[in-house]
Amino acid sequence: MPYTLWFDKAGKEAIGLVGGKNASLGELIKADIPVPPGFSVTTETYLELLSGGGMKEKIEEILSRIDLQDVASLENASKVIRQLMTEASLPKRIEEEISFNYQTLAQVFDVPNLPVAVRSSATAEDLPGASFAGQQDTYLWVQGSDEVLEKIKLCMSSLFTPRAISYRIKMGFPHEKVLISVGVQKIVDARAAGVMFTLNPLNGDPSKVVIEGNWGLGETVVSGQVNPDKFVVDKVTKEIESTISQKWTECIFDPEKGMVCHLDIPHERQEIQCIEDQEVLELARYGRRIEEYYGCPQDIEWAIDKDKPFPLNIFLVQSRPETVCSQQKKEPVLGKKSAYDLLMEKALQRIKIGS
Amino acid sequence: MAQKKGFQMPLEVEYPKELEGWEEMYPPMYIFSKDRKEWEGKHFWFHDKIHAPEAMYPLDLIFQEAWQISLSQYTTRVFCIPPAQGIAQRMVGCYMYITPVAPPPQEIIAEKAPLFQKRVFYIFDHYDELWGVWLKKFKALGEEMNSIKVPGDFPKFESDDTVFPEPRGYYTSYEVIEAWDKLVDLMIKGWQYHFQYLNLAYLAYLMFGDTCRKLFPGISESTIGKLVAGAYVQMFRPEEELCRLARLAAAVPGLAKILKSDMSADKKMEALKKSAEGSTWLVEYEKSKDPWFYVSCGSGWFHYEGSWTTKLEIPFGYIKGYIERIEKGEKIERDLAGIDTARAKLAEEYQKLIKTDEDRKSFNDVYRAVRTIYKYAEDHLFWVEHWFHTIWFDKVGVFGRLLVKRGLLKAPDDIYLFNRFEVPLLMEDMATTWALGEGVPSRSQYWQAKAEKRKKILEAAKKWTPIPALGNPPEEIAEPFTVMLWGITTDKVQDWLKGMAVVPGEVTELKGFASSAGIVEGKVRVVKLLEEITKIQQGEILVCPTTNPAWAPVFTKIKASITDIGGLTSHAAIVCREYGVPSVTGTGIATNVLKTGDTVKVDGNTGIVKILKRA
Repeated sequence: MPYTLWFDKAGKEAIGLVGGKNASLGELIKADIPVPPGFSVTTETYLELLSGGGMKEKIEEILSRIDLQDVASLENASKVIRQLMTEASLPKRIEEEISFNYQTLAQVFDVPNLPVAVRSSATAEDLPGASFAGQQDTYLWVQGSDEVLEKIKLCMSSLFTPRAISYRIKMGFPHEKVLISVGVQKIVDARAAGVMFTLNPLNGDPSKVVIEGNWGLGETVVSGQVNPDKFVVDKVTKEIESTISQKWTECIFDPEKGMVCHLDIPHERQEIQCIEDQEVLELARYGRRIEEYYGCPQDIEWAIDKDKPFPLNIFLVQSRPETVCSQQKKEPVLGKKSAYDLLMEKALQRIKIGS
Repeated sequence: MAQKKGFQMPLEVEYPKELEGWEEMYPPMYIFSKDRKEWEGKHFWFHDKIHAPEAMYPLDLIFQEAWQISLSQYTTRVFCIPPAQGIAQRMVGCYMYITPVAPPPQEIIAEKAPLFQKRVFYIFDHYDELWGVWLKKFKALGEEMNSIKVPGDFPKFESDDTVFPEPRGYYTSYEVIEAWDKLVDLMIKGWQYHFQYLNLAYLAYLMFGDTCRKLFPGISESTIGKLVAGAYVQMFRPEEELCRLARLAAAVPGLAKILKSDMSADKKMEALKKSAEGSTWLVEYEKSKDPWFYVSCGSGWFHYEGSWTTKLEIPFGYIKGYIERIEKGEKIERDLAGIDTARAKLAEEYQKLIKTDEDRKSFNDVYRAVRTIYKYAEDHLFWVEHWFHTIWFDKVGVFGRLLVKRGLLKAPDDIYLFNRFEVPLLMEDMATTWALGEGVPSRSQYWQAKAEKRKKILEAAKKWTPIPALGNPPEEIAEPFTVMLWGITTDKVQDWLKGMAVVPGEVTELKGFASSAGIVEGKVRVVKLLEEITKIQQGEILVCPTTNPAWAPVFTKIKASITDIGGLTSHAAIVCREYGVPSVTGTGIATNVLKTGDTVKVDGNTGIVKILKRA
């Protein structure tokens, strides 16, 4: 079993090895979607991490002593386990393989210490309440092999946050059944970024793609820190209905501080449309393609590269099935009526007017 | 009464002094009256800017009278749309106001429902063959009108052949009276035919719109319009015929030279007659002319608009332009097959987005139904408002000239200053004085004084701005035309109420129907009277009370159009979609608020017009 796998080599068939999120990136690449390149550190590596120095047994022992009624005991157990995992070393050959992959990626872009995003990707994502696995961990702007290795272990340890542990215990789900993979992905130095739904989540309209975006990295949109610009694109006519909001803050990487920071957006840029119409249309086109590939509405994260020219500047970072509308039962909205039934209905209708 | 939330009551309207006496121009049932005050006060009357944007000449009112009866009876007595009643008309200082009549009692609605079902579904099932029958019937009616023989003058003595071998028994006096009566009868009958399927077509369109919005809540009105609009619409045929004639001429340098010259149309025809090729081309011209150049230069509703048969400079001007474009290597014909394919593809793509098979089945059924019957809304227009009306105006012109010849009127067009119930009096007077013999006076001074006075009233009325509506807005409307054609909705009424308090110079944004997609910026030209249409410059944005398809060639010049009145299937909306020109219709106040030279941004996707810079 491989310890690492490039995204384009592992689609949904490899979900057990690379986790749901990474497998979906593999699928996107298969569907010809521009995804920032990168690789998965597989569950095999996770298992290797646990097997070193009797860690697995130590963890089991700690977990068995937890008293769920006692918050402090849970917190403490989590802390000890996570420390164990992050302080442990991976086998040399695995560390070398990860470093080699990272350097390869850096060479492709000809950027030493290429900034990457390191994200967890759990294998239990298809289970109800998938968020229990703690796979929300994301580290942005990670640079250099050593930091990459460190963040990989941090991501893996996120399987043992207090919340994740208590959830598994409550649900009677064995800890050892949940495995985790980590994705290492070239980061898009985003001029603007955000999310996209391949239907209108407000009214379930399947003929629309809704795109929300802000200047900088997508975090401000995902976490709802700003009112984003909103574009409703008709899938057929390509008509765009734009709502430009006042955007006061953006997330960008500050090279001096070496971290992602929130910056105030200067006044003159606050009400400028953060992506151009042609970019909106290109995003919508990819959105449709992904939806068609998966056969169901999608919730997608995207980013527009600062430096690349259009259309090479467009990247889709993540896609997952849209949850609200698509889980509703597919009942016919026209109630199986014929044209004559509907005509009769219309003929009987009175149109309310006035106050 | 609920004065605060409504408009002025009809009987409270104050008229400028110069309009005094306007009431006598129109039939008495057209005047708001104390005896009908209660019923009239309960209704909501709005200025019909679609059919009567300008001060009404009494004889031009005939079309309005005809549609009031016909449209209404199809809804109430023939196809029996259950909760809907007719549309009533009134005159307010030379402007026509209309109201959808309040719904009937519940038991009538219940009685109408089964009749509607039985009759309307039958029409939908048989529309394709019924259209053929309708067209044949309508053409025959037009031919009958065309064949009415109007004596050019009263003879000094009837000719021998009316006496031998057997006296005919009726003579010129009767012929004139009969011809007029027949002309009027045929016009009224033509308008009975006009609505034969129109109410149903509009109802089907509304139903299709509802269906689309249930499936795709955010679908734009202009997209719904595009899905329904046909490419092979008869109203566009006149323009196609011009293209055909231009191509024929462009192939023969000698002909092209004559047709491109600055000579008048009459001179061009004379010059063409001199060569064999020219004569052949003129034969082709005559072939196109009947029926395709029986097209009004305006909407077909007003005598002063003229038609391509009376204003020859118009078709010849277009032909000149087309030849020049052909010589530059441009394609002049619109790609109808392309438009049709694009429409079919649009429908297919939306259909694919439908989530369940049951809905797809319903949608396809609805789409088929609306596509079948909506053709009527598009095709009847040429035959009735243009072809048939052109014949009417030609015939009325003969009567007008006869009245001038017999000294009753000063100018042929003065006949239009008398309503259709008064014209028979003129005919009677003219025929009687002829019959009485030599030296018998008619009441020419009476008629001419009346004409003079009415001309002045109409001039004054043109300068008067009528208020958009009267009475109390109703709580509901069930009459399909009110919504579709006039675009009367809750929002519209509210805007009108607001609009009355608005200072035109302070408005920065107008809202209307997004009736043809696209966004453009540019300078506007406000065209309140039809004659001003020729002033339009390339690349301007047309602002007008309402437009009509005969302006088609203007639509290749303009960047966008904005109208006061008109829903999504108003003529402006249809023609703009056909030409891919962005359009916002039914803004209510555009011609009041905008001035020629203002810079605006027209958003045909959202129905919003932003005023960027005042001229």
